[in-house]
Amino acid sequence: MSENPHQSYDARILEMKDLTPREKLFTLRFLDPEVGEHFTFRPGQFVIVDMRGFGEFPISLCSSPTRKGYIQLCIRKAGRMTKFIHKMKEGEIVGIRGPYGNGFPMEEMEGSNLILVAGGLGMAPLRSVLWYALDTAKYEDVWLFYGTKAYEDILFRDEIVHLMKHGKAMGCKVKLAYEVESPSCVYLERGFSDRVCKGVVTDLFRGEIFDVENTYALICGPPVMYRFVIRELLDRKLSPGRIYMTLERRMRCGIGKCGHCIVGTSTSIKYVCKDGPVFTYWDALSTRGLI
Amino acid sequence: MRYVKLSIENFSSFFNSLRNWGKVYAPTKRGSIYTFQEVHDQEEIELNYTRTMLPPKKFFVRPREKMFQLKNGHWENRSNAEPIVLFGLHSCDIHGLKILDKVYLEEPIDPYYKARREKALIIGISCMPDEYCFCKSLGTRFAMDGFDLFLHELPDGWLVRVGSVRGHEIAWANEDLFEEVTDEDLRNFKEFEEKRSKSFKKELPGEGLADMLDLAYNSPVWKKYAEICLACGNCNMVCPTCRCYEVCDRWINSYESVRERRYDSCFMENHGLVAGGHNFRPTRLDRFRHRYYCKSYFDPSSGYNCVGCGRCDEFCPAKIEHVKVLEEVRGSLR
Ligand SMILES: Cc1cc2nc3c(=O)[nH]c(=O)nc-3n(C[C@H](O)[C@H](O)[C@H](O)COP(=O)(O)OP(=O)(O)OC[C@H]3O[C@@H](n4cnc5c(N)ncnc54)[C@H](O)[C@@H]3O)c2cc1C
Ligand code: SF4
Ligand code: SF4
Ligand code: FES
Repeated sequence: MSENPHQSYDARILEMKDLTPREKLFTLRFLDPEVGEHFTFRPGQFVIVDMRGFGEFPISLCSSPTRKGYIQLCIRKAGRMTKFIHKMKEGEIVGIRGPYGNGFPMEEMEGSNLILVAGGLGMAPLRSVLWYALDTAKYEDVWLFYGTKAYEDILFRDEIVHLMKHGKAMGCKVKLAYEVESPSCVYLERGFSDRVCKGVVTDLFRGEIFDVENTYALICGPPVMYRFVIRELLDRKLSPGRIYMTLERRMRCGIGKCGHCIVGTSTSIKYVCKDGPVFTYWDALSTRGLI
Repeated sequence: MRYVKLSIENFSSFFNSLRNWGKVYAPTKRGSIYTFQEVHDQEEIELNYTRTMLPPKKFFVRPREKMFQLKNGHWENRSNAEPIVLFGLHSCDIHGLKILDKVYLEEPIDPYYKARREKALIIGISCMPDEYCFCKSLGTRFAMDGFDLFLHELPDGWLVRVGSVRGHEIAWANEDLFEEVTDEDLRNFKEFEEKRSKSFKKELPGEGLADMLDLAYNSPVWKKYAEICLACGNCNMVCPTCRCYEVCDRWINSYESVRERRYDSCFMENHGLVAGGHNFRPTRLDRFRHRYYCKSYFDPSSGYNCVGCGRCDEFCPAKIEHVKVLEEVRGSLR
């Protein structure tokens, strides 16, 4: 690969799909087949998208490494550059560099139950885990607890509803919490009364018991969500070492140079871009400011 | 280590020979401040300087640098490095470069930094502390490596430590300028170092410092100083180990753009700002405290992120003193 880690590689936008009014799913393929061949990653890692001439921004990989030949990014229109990429057309080229970060320890978790807890856009990196787990079938039960604002905000809605209907055979249980009521939500709730409710993501824990010896929790969502979800998990005696979360910070380089993503104090400093973005709750206990 | 002696008489020949290795930069005086500038003549140098405003990092981590240039939709590398000689670095600044090395030369290697670092010859020089220096407390008052040659002042010249293969090459090429070191030179060297050691006025007791600072996270002292602080970011700019950078694409005309990076400061409000307006360090208190924690972090393989050069004190418009802040924070634990 390139001598210069700041250099991105050309990737073609194969497909752009509206997931919600704010989020689009981009399917990309590297122009150079050799680059595509070498590009492997683990769920939880991210790439930096290079809008040449306009800037760069970090985005989680939301596809799974088990599905080769393309990568997918779910991008929310949040500001200047993400607005710009939303305006691009299929067939156009962007730069991609990465993958960066540590990702989730998929091997270590083999044979265990996984509880994925997603809030809003946090569904994006966890979709990679979800696919990976279902594709490899190396895990016991896979649960997805997903909290969204409204029906219109549910990312990958078709996939989620499909899993609600047919996931059982794959050992997959999907639960959904929404905050804003709408006819569509009510309809969904009627179909899956035990798994869809009005409320926040922590409400989905109600009545659930886990095999704490054999379960990992993987969390991704807005900053406020972590403490509440972690409390639920600790209440059920899940070990802090089995609670994984993926975090967001301002990032410029993605490779531990620019200093923007540094958190911590004199006893423990972490770079979210290279020591993370996946951390355990133990890490959060020893590094202030992580969550 | 190999040791040779350079006499006062031979200094200018030695100095002139350095131009064979590249452009020579050395401490000079501009108005009331010292600065590393290109020099052509020995007369321009201030050998007895205290500290320059910008540390030697400016040669490797440029205040502003072009990384790429956009041509036909593709980035072209813009790295350029020329051979330079940095003459007269103090021990703390050499340690500062070692800390930057740790960041930029660790995988993945930053090619811009590496190219410039490899082309730079580093010549250290001994110094006497002033009221701002506390390198002694941090173990950075003496450089054991990280230089090609190190000149220690003697009454009649310099005791020169040869620290690298390139240092050997210089000593070799200038063989007739150097002499063997005598017992008297050794005595003088020892005396100088002892005198220097006794001249430190500022001290930062290091025992348990990292933990005590961490324990004092909610200390009112942080708040007290954050209120005095102007958030100007000077302390970041002048620090030999601060190296946060911001990246920005800039159009030159409708066809060409450059990607530049430039110094950033954790005192700036947008340092931790992400999309949607969420800021991970929203208040000045958060940012002030963050800088102190970052500087006081102890990395078992490279030490503290502070080398005790005293620049942040000397160039702080609010007269905030680094050691005093840390001492007060630690004191507030009681
Ligand atoms: C590890 C990681 C994974 C992410 N994954 C996703 C994802 O899967 N989907 C998604 O939609 N978003 C994701 N984000 C957030 C995404 O990076 C920001 O939404 C994006 O950078 C906003 O850029 P902008 O120019 O549109 O926004 P603006 O608000 O216009 O940004 C202003 C400036 O701040 C910078 N900036 C803003 N937010 C961030 C940020 N979080 N990190 C670094 N720089 C930032 C931008 O680069 C820009 O220069 C992720 C962020 C991180 C750190
Ligand atoms: S130089 Fe002084 S006033 Fe300026 S940001 Fe640093 S501590 Fe604050
Ligand atoms: S924190 Fe201050 S004293 Fe320490 S290295 Fe930086 S500028 Fe020098
Ligand atoms: S993003 Fe630059 S150091 Fe982490």
